[in-house]
Amino acid sequence: MADWELRAENIYKSFGGVKALDDVSLEIKQGEIVCLVGENGSGKSTMIKIISGVYSADKGELIINGHRYRNISPIESIRKGIQVIYQDFSLFPNLTVAENLAINDQISSGKKWVNWREYRRIAAEGLAEIHVSIDLDQLAGQMSTADRQLIAIAKAIMSEARIIIMDEPTTALTQKEIQALFSTIRHLKERGIAILFVSHKLTEVKEIAERTIIFRNGKKVLDRDSQGLDIKTMEYYMTGRELDSFWSASASKLKDKENILEVKDLSLAGEFSDISFQLKRGEILGITGLLGSGRGSLALSLFGVTPPNKGKIRIGGNEVSIKNIQSAIQHKIGYVPEDRIREGLFLDQSIEDNIVASTIDKLMNKLSLIRDHEKTGLSEDWIHRLNIKTPSGALPAKSLSGGNQQRVVLAKWLANNPDILILNGPTVGVDVGSKAEIHQLIQNLAEQGMGILLISDDIPELIYNCDRIILMRDGKISSEFERGKVNAEELNKAMIGNLMDGKE
Amino acid sequence: MVKNNMLKRIFETTEFVTFTIIVVLSVIIGSINPAFYSWGMLFDILRASIVFSIMAFGLLPVIISGGVDISFVAIAAMSSYATHMYLLRIGYEGGILLYYLIACSIGILAGLINGFLVTRFDLLIFNVSLAMYTMWYGFVRFFIGSERNHNLPAGVANFYSRFLLIVENQFTGVTGLHVSVLFVLGIGVTIALLLRYTTLGRGIYAMGGSRDVAIRCGFNIKTITFFVMMLMGGIASFAGVTFNLLSRFFDPTIFLGQELDVIAAIILGGASLSGGRGSVIGSFMGVIVIQMIHRALILTGIPVEWQDLMVGILLVFFISFPFIRDSFKKLTLKSSLQKP
Repeated sequence: MADWELRAENIYKSFGGVKALDDVSLEIKQGEIVCLVGENGSGKSTMIKIISGVYSADKGELIINGHRYRNISPIESIRKGIQVIYQDFSLFPNLTVAENLAINDQISSGKKWVNWREYRRIAAEGLAEIHVSIDLDQLAGQMSTADRQLIAIAKAIMSEARIIIMDEPTTALTQKEIQALFSTIRHLKERGIAILFVSHKLTEVKEIAERTIIFRNGKKVLDRDSQGLDIKTMEYYMTGRELDSFWSASASKLKDKENILEVKDLSLAGEFSDISFQLKRGEILGITGLLGSGRGSLALSLFGVTPPNKGKIRIGGNEVSIKNIQSAIQHKIGYVPEDRIREGLFLDQSIEDNIVASTIDKLMNKLSLIRDHEKTGLSEDWIHRLNIKTPSGALPAKSLSGGNQQRVVLAKWLANNPDILILNGPTVGVDVGSKAEIHQLIQNLAEQGMGILLISDDIPELIYNCDRIILMRDGKISSEFERGKVNAEELNKAMIGNLMDGKE
Repeated sequence: MVKNNMLKRIFETTEFVTFTIIVVLSVIIGSINPAFYSWGMLFDILRASIVFSIMAFGLLPVIISGGVDISFVAIAAMSSYATHMYLLRIGYEGGILLYYLIACSIGILAGLINGFLVTRFDLLIFNVSLAMYTMWYGFVRFFIGSERNHNLPAGVANFYSRFLLIVENQFTGVTGLHVSVLFVLGIGVTIALLLRYTTLGRGIYAMGGSRDVAIRCGFNIKTITFFVMMLMGGIASFAGVTFNLLSRFFDPTIFLGQELDVIAAIILGGASLSGGRGSVIGSFMGVIVIQMIHRALILTGIPVEWQDLMVGILLVFFISFPFIRDSFKKLTLKSSLQKP
């Protein structure tokens, strides 16, 4: 096998006057694992799209194996062995695994008739190449995210990929699945396939990368061997500033604070059982666990989405029953969902309307009409307080970046003055800069006396922010950690180790 | 183990549920009135299902591709009536072949217009079909005629009584298995093979499953859209001619308002209006279920309102079936995880 190589030379690309890529060069050699890191809007995705032929560069050249391309077409890029695994994995949910794996070959060979035995053979071979076994007759839509990702990787290999570009591949994976993905990646490397791993989860980058490339504002600011590159340095290059100050939370002074929320023996059939804990005013309580451990459904139950069928909830010392979202809001509970796009925002509505959505009742006059100027005032106040970067509150929410969208969701609930704020994965898909600011915000809120439930599987996030961390497993609380008594590795181990002795 | 898995998969399909409903209905109706168990009754149900089945087969690929069309009934009415009036005017005396040929050609052309509007202006199939539905019913009555016509050429006049088999029965009288069940069989098998064994057919499923991915994979979405629309137009016209010949009159407003019954039958057969799911055998069973419910009325003396109520309840069940199945699966999965 001749050595394979991809080079991009002096790429420029701008969109309507905004420079997305400004004189960027990079190269990837056969069998290399390269991580491309950068905040949202740093030019990562633009670069991927230029390599895969979706965009054409304004200036610069791509050189693949010595062939120079001024602009490459998507199909030519695929022929040259470049495969991008998008976040939706490019699978058909309604077709079987076998058909999903074989369909590309079917189309590219121009066959008119389908041979199902051939489909299965092609599919089985493809999966064997990456050493995984998945039931070929299952529908792709019924598989777990991790399995779908493996299918997408197998698909890429089958179209003779020489480089596989993975865009944020670990977003929806559990820790154990991430480890499995990494071992697949290392295996691909041995076969001479290069990997370009795009991520902003720096712990993962540190673990998997051989070389790290960092983009900031459309420029390449770092390109070096990952050996000896620590997370702090990466953060510095990504954001251009030291983040350290944000991450050292003040020591807690919670001793004499009263309990704002008490949960006793809370259960929901099939989801979680016998959950008991207390949350004090000003406390940040972390709830973690693997996907499916019940952490998410516990949050939904506390917010009245799926009311618990057993157990007691006391708020401020009084027993309450939270039967629906309205009663949760009445008891001053706020909830920031995991999937802000689907559950937390009206993407097409204005930022202003999003912010006032949960407080709309208070803005109505006697005729139930909304007092417009007050609405604008309120939302402008929050745009300012949370530092939401937008020229106007009248723009639709979808015009904002991920971090700013998340702030709008936060503003929506903060406008309601909650006593208890449930945050479900508040920084999923948010870049490092915004992440630190959101953490700072969470801590400020706690200092002002709000009780905060932080539900997350981002271990550093939990360690840095929480006064206590509860670990859930199979719907039960399996252990509890105090601040300062656990480090990231131990917590990670407890989470995964847990699974090992739970299943095997 | 493998066999077990296959059985399990069959039980999980919506087609199996439809089949179960047919069995349950047969048992219930038959136990109230044993006259239900007879060849005559079977032939009667089949005869009533012929036209609907053919239309369902024509519409099915459109629904699998992710679109909903209602104009097919108007296309069927327009093309068969126009064909008839034209052939009458030129004094045609021949057989059914020319009827089908002309009507299907008109139907395919009408489908082509739908396909053009959908792909050229990037419109929803439903929106285009809503316009075409109204337009074709208007067109046929304004330009061709609005009167029911009972004048059938000699060559086709006796088609209604071409039976493969005839049985006599005290309840249904003389009934026969009409020759047009062969059309149902032929078209059904063709569409089923097309959907299952051609790249184009798989493209229809792929497009219904995820349009974006289908484009990324290299399927030509426009070609597929044109194809399913033209196929639908052609087959609907075929059904239209068949209906008119069986009823021994040609009418410009046949099927008006019955488009939803066809869509309902397809859903009862396990298809999803959001696309990606559905099968020929399922759609056929869906038509049979609806016809059985209609027969049950006569046989058991249950009031007429019951029909619609029953079909409605079944529809509610079917549209929520994937959800019910998935949450059931999730529950069993969870509980098996929680066992120590």
